[in-house]
Amino acid sequence: MHRVLIVELRKLNRSLAAALAIAAPGLIAVFTFFNMLRGKTAQPWDMWMVGATGIWAFFMLPMSVTALTALVAHMEHGPRTWDHLRALPLPRWTIYAAKAISVFLVLALMSIGVFVLTGAAVKLAVALKPELAPTGVFDATVYLDMLGRMYLAATLVVVIQLWISLRWASFVPGLVVGIGGTFFAVVATAAKVGVFLPWQMPVNMLSTEGWRLHTALSLGLGGGLLLLALMLWRLSRREVL
Amino acid sequence: MLAIETRDLRRRFGPTVAVDGVSLSVPRGCVYGFMGRNGAGKTTTLKMLLGLVRPDSGTIRIAGRDALADRLGAARCMGALLEAHGFYAHLSGRENLDLTRSLLGLRPTELDRVLEIVGLTPDAGRRVGGYSLGMRQRLGIARALLGSPEVLILDEPTNGLDPDGIADMRDFLRTLPDRANATVLLSSHLLGEVEQVADRVGIIHQGQLVLQDDLATLRAGQAPQLRLGCDDPDRARSVILGLGLGLTRGPDSDRITLAPGADVRETARALNRALVEAGIDVHELSPQARSLEAIYRDITALTPPHKEAA
Repeated sequence: MHRVLIVELRKLNRSLAAALAIAAPGLIAVFTFFNMLRGKTAQPWDMWMVGATGIWAFFMLPMSVTALTALVAHMEHGPRTWDHLRALPLPRWTIYAAKAISVFLVLALMSIGVFVLTGAAVKLAVALKPELAPTGVFDATVYLDMLGRMYLAATLVVVIQLWISLRWASFVPGLVVGIGGTFFAVVATAAKVGVFLPWQMPVNMLSTEGWRLHTALSLGLGGGLLLLALMLWRLSRREVL
Repeated sequence: MLAIETRDLRRRFGPTVAVDGVSLSVPRGCVYGFMGRNGAGKTTTLKMLLGLVRPDSGTIRIAGRDALADRLGAARCMGALLEAHGFYAHLSGRENLDLTRSLLGLRPTELDRVLEIVGLTPDAGRRVGGYSLGMRQRLGIARALLGSPEVLILDEPTNGLDPDGIADMRDFLRTLPDRANATVLLSSHLLGEVEQVADRVGIIHQGQLVLQDDLATLRAGQAPQLRLGCDDPDRARSVILGLGLGLTRGPDSDRITLAPGADVRETARALNRALVEAGIDVHELSPQARSLEAIYRDITALTPPHKEAA
């Protein structure tokens, strides 16, 4: 497993994954920077940091997962390497598990990127307009804890998108599901049933209602891990013809 | 011991029987030519050997290992060049090989060894996207050679190559068992190419293995032929039939089939004498070795139409 994961990361290292990992949190930071410069009075740290994590969970995370899983799968679909990989003397589930782990690793880096780049954008804006220096406490633990829960709640949506991307050689099914899921997550944010929609589970980590937060976290993480096990089993047994 | 042995392999896809009772026997150290038309069942059979497709029934032994019960053990004994090469075009040849080397847990020096065997060392640093088809085929064979497997499975290794590339690949394949100390099973629909490199052949037709033998035995058992060119083929035919010889009409000359074991030179002399005495001018009378293609045509013509599942 260790060898397969290292090879997977080497392949990712030479792809556009790094650009994606920087672009998504970078765009949120750029938005925060210009939004802050528009202001005339200082706002609390929470407004900028919680606002950025909200944009991340609400829209950028599901879209990034859609793009990242498509990228990881098409590294093999494009050059038609599946038969070669599956004929090697390796347990087949390790090939798919390595892909899942690399997606989760990149997503973790992106989550940290949201925290670091947004903080840096705020500092930069303050350097240009010192009167906008945020008020209140910069509580890194709270922000990182929030991002961490969003990350865990996103497990289910990651596995759904990855399974679709690995299963179909065309990137269209993955994009349609990803765009569709994000669309309904955005237009039906307030819907109670939204807590059961995988694409809305990360943003539910911002909810003030305990049941929503716990339900979304349990379903997102628990359901994601169960679905991951099922995905590894099914893909390992599938014949690629 | 056989390098590859299958017994009664069967596989159907829906109503279509793709492979129907194929029993291969590939001795160690030989080049085995696995031939058949496109769609005859070659690739499905090879995929079953590699564990990519499960047979509905039958057994597979690779270097003595039961490939269905122990896929990983059998896979350790095999290297494969598949029709879809599966290279990362943005990486160099060496980097592509290194990914597989890492997956197999081999030492880095293994790369130099396999690149040397296929003659790609000078180009190993170039991106695969810039490789010719022949270079990609060689790189695929280099990848198959990683870890010195006992069995090499090469699916259509001459596919898409130009005439020079085919000639190079033919020379390369001929020496591969000695260079790599391996048994080579290669599939192809180019019978003339297989004939020049294989020691043993198997012909698959409509999913069934209709012939399997050593090439030398096969040729020895086939009736030799004489090619005849003359000014009056119609009269010549009656002379030939009068001598009790078989006859096949060709587009510009008549082929004469002799009984197996007959003395070709003696028959040619007798035929020439009879034709001249009959007043027929002969401008060509030459012995012809039966090509694999002719053998293939004869055998597949005798095979009944494909049985489809209900």
